[in-house]
Amino acid sequence: MFEIENVSKIYDSKGDKEDVLALDNINLTIETGKFVCFVGPSGCGKTTLLRLMEGFEKPTEGTIKDDGVIVLEPSRERGFIFQDYSLFPWLNVLDNVTFGLDIAGLPKEESRQRALKYLEAVGLEEFANSYPHELSGGMKQRVAIIRSIINKSKSLLMDEPFSALDVQTKHKLQEHFINTWKDRDTTVIFVTHDVDEAVFLSDQVVVFSRRPGRIKRVFENNLPRPRNRADAEFQSLVSEITKDIDESEDE
Amino acid sequence: MKEYKLTDKLDLLILPIILVIIWYFVCDFFMLVPSYMFPGPIDVLNSFIRLTLSGKLFKDIIDTLYKVLLGLFLAAAVGITGGIILGWSKKLERLCSLIISILRPIPPIAWIPFSILWFGIGTTPAVFIIFMGCVFPILVSTIDGVHRTKGVLIEAAQSFGASNTQMLTDVILPSTFPYIVSGLKVGIGIALMCTISGEMIGSSSGIGYMILTSTSLFDTGSTIVGMLVIGIIGIIFDYIFTKIQERIFW
Repeated sequence: MFEIENVSKIYDSKGDKEDVLALDNINLTIETGKFVCFVGPSGCGKTTLLRLMEGFEKPTEGTIKDDGVIVLEPSRERGFIFQDYSLFPWLNVLDNVTFGLDIAGLPKEESRQRALKYLEAVGLEEFANSYPHELSGGMKQRVAIIRSIINKSKSLLMDEPFSALDVQTKHKLQEHFINTWKDRDTTVIFVTHDVDEAVFLSDQVVVFSRRPGRIKRVFENNLPRPRNRADAEFQSLVSEITKDIDESEDE
Repeated sequence: MKEYKLTDKLDLLILPIILVIIWYFVCDFFMLVPSYMFPGPIDVLNSFIRLTLSGKLFKDIIDTLYKVLLGLFLAAAVGITGGIILGWSKKLERLCSLIISILRPIPPIAWIPFSILWFGIGTTPAVFIIFMGCVFPILVSTIDGVHRTKGVLIEAAQSFGASNTQMLTDVILPSTFPYIVSGLKVGIGIALMCTISGEMIGSSSGIGYMILTSTSLFDTGSTIVGMLVIGIIGIIFDYIFTKIQERIFW
């Protein structure tokens, strides 16, 4: 469970320009096991909040607690998935996937077997010995995702992981990801600017408004799974959220 | 990188062969220049055969290579370690930045007087000069490499719970590796230059010593042999490092 209390983030512009208030007094509680999407116009601070939740940066004011413990630095309890995959280019796919397990000191053979099983599940077992630069964007992101979920962290923080992919690949990965997620009790915080994606994946959609970044509205998403984009209810939720974002864009 | 066939490379030899032919006619055939001023290719070939048969050339090459590699090794040990530490710690880098900036542009041969004063004549002063010449390019290149380690890779490792030591060995070091290699490549070129200078002044052996002394004995053929040997050693090292660089894909 994440408890975000009165969190503000100010970036010191160090010049004559005014400091940037990226997040303004955010309060949000995220229940364990929920799939929550942050959406909003670009520059609304959704990625900033995600980075604060991991502990990459510190809030200027307020606190973020992960299961009651104040977040001070990154932790292996919170997996983080980056927009640009950030695979280690000098490691092959298998070694990338076992990176977290190796860091944790698991026996080499055990983590290897586990990684191969995960790779097989996403159809990448043939690429175990390939290097990241030999893979397509979709394959890289699949590797990055299993590199994180293999560690069985309590939560996964995902920063627009599918935004650079073409629509077909994106839909395939969304479906695949939701299927792996639903058997677990992992909390997922998923930043996206794609409302369709947010509605397809989440239990809850948090809409941010821009400058300063504030939470505008929280939508509960109780559409039955597996979800179908063609459903009228799906469409109406998408347009409702989109309308909300457009309004904050105009402000 | 494009793969060249042997026949593609033959064109590289056209101009050198023409030059050797002209050289032969000027020096050996028409004898326009006296051989004690500049030798003809026949003189050089004779010197080469003589030096090879006597074993002197081989001995001098080994002697020079030993100094080059020892100097480079010491410079690499200090430069890479220092570079990683300074690249990692902004405070330490700031502390050392002025010293590095002042020492770096000093030509390594400017250290010759002190190297003789401190180490006398022999292998050590040459190794010292090589060290002084190579340590800065390697250090600076390593610092640069650490700085260029992508922030997201560091963050990714942090999110897997990497300790500082693990960050160093598993992220910073591999990420910096290409920069270390290019630092070493620059270093080896400088090392060859330094060795010859060092051997000419503070030494009694090696290719540099041979180049200098043979001229004073009017054996200019041996001087050219020495110079060409250095050139060829340089090409070989360059080739090796280029091959290593081609294999680095990150």
